[in-house]
Amino acid sequence: MNQQRREFLKRAGLAGLAGLGAVAGIIPTFALEKTDPSVFSNRPVPGATRWGMLIDTRKCRDGCDECVAACHRTHNVPDFGDSKNEIKWIWKAPYEKAFPTSSRQFGSRNLDGLEVLTLCNHCAEPPCTKACPTKATFRRWDGIVAMDYHRCIGCRFCMAACPYGSRSFNWLDPRPAIETYSPDYPTRERGVVEKCNFCSERLVKGLQPACVEACRGKAITFGDLNDPESAIRTMLAENETVQRKPELGTLPSVFYII
Amino acid sequence: MLFCGAALAALVTITALRLDGGGAETVPAAGPAAVDSTVCIAPTEYMRSHHMKMLDKWRDEAVREGERTHVTPDGRRFEKSLKTCLGCHSNNRMFCYMCHLYANVKPTCWNCHLSPIEIPPQ
Repeated sequence: MNQQRREFLKRAGLAGLAGLGAVAGIIPTFALEKTDPSVFSNRPVPGATRWGMLIDTRKCRDGCDECVAACHRTHNVPDFGDSKNEIKWIWKAPYEKAFPTSSRQFGSRNLDGLEVLTLCNHCAEPPCTKACPTKATFRRWDGIVAMDYHRCIGCRFCMAACPYGSRSFNWLDPRPAIETYSPDYPTRERGVVEKCNFCSERLVKGLQPACVEACRGKAITFGDLNDPESAIRTMLAENETVQRKPELGTLPSVFYII
Repeated sequence: MLFCGAALAALVTITALRLDGGGAETVPAAGPAAVDSTVCIAPTEYMRSHHMKMLDKWRDEAVREGERTHVTPDGRRFEKSLKTCLGCHSNNRMFCYMCHLYANVKPTCWNCHLSPIEIPPQ
């Protein structure tokens, strides 16, 4: 190529890029916008906060799954349409499946056909983190049992270890099974395990978890279990609550009013 | 152009308090930051050669330690997030691809993270 022509093309290219940059300064792209980090604490103190959830099944309406839809939409959870490949972060289970060890002898009529909202319990003693060979799943400084998808090798030990069935494995590429992408959260790839993250990406921005926000009946209360003044602690003190499979000693952070 | 950027920055609200929805704590909310595509977090030459190391470091610190704020030597603060990069660089939707194609490197970022190409500009 002629040297002069090459120089011209290089300059034209640079000028084009500069033009794009000028536009960039004026028009922000909201889909992938930056966050102002001024409210973030620099390094959180481990154990200061322990996020927890209280689900009031009396307020949870039959047949309503808005929280499930909101969660799965927010986190790009794929819907393969069959139970073998199903990915779920939060779902409704029959009472006897959610609380299989609770006594049903001469049980209350209210429990017949009761559907209970179930999700990862974010245990204080999580068996899944102990099973993970790569520390891809770990207990965070704020009590959330998190997944670092970058490290997950797809061995599924955590799925075997979790007594609540809260984890799902991506047997297939999840991307084609996602209807519309939520730009606020990544998707996953084939061969990793995924589960509820207590909306850690929303908590850091001061938002409530997506399921709490979506619930019209205000059946879900979310808050800091370590703060005796918090709404969730007040409700725990005032109501009779249960945890799922407490006899296993996993110390779940999700509580239920039946 | 700089004036426009400054005006935009002035328009952006920094903090807001959100009242409790389901009866939980009030936490200060992080709003969107001003977009200033004129200055990167580090000099261009450094970013060209070291962006992958920086992204790796950011990822581990943000995901595993919860240390989400990056402070540059001149005192500017950024969230340690791929979105901080894409907040400016997604304006050129081929930004990442151009070099990676040329250098024949195949980073796995876009297996999960949504690339600027996958998100239509709004």
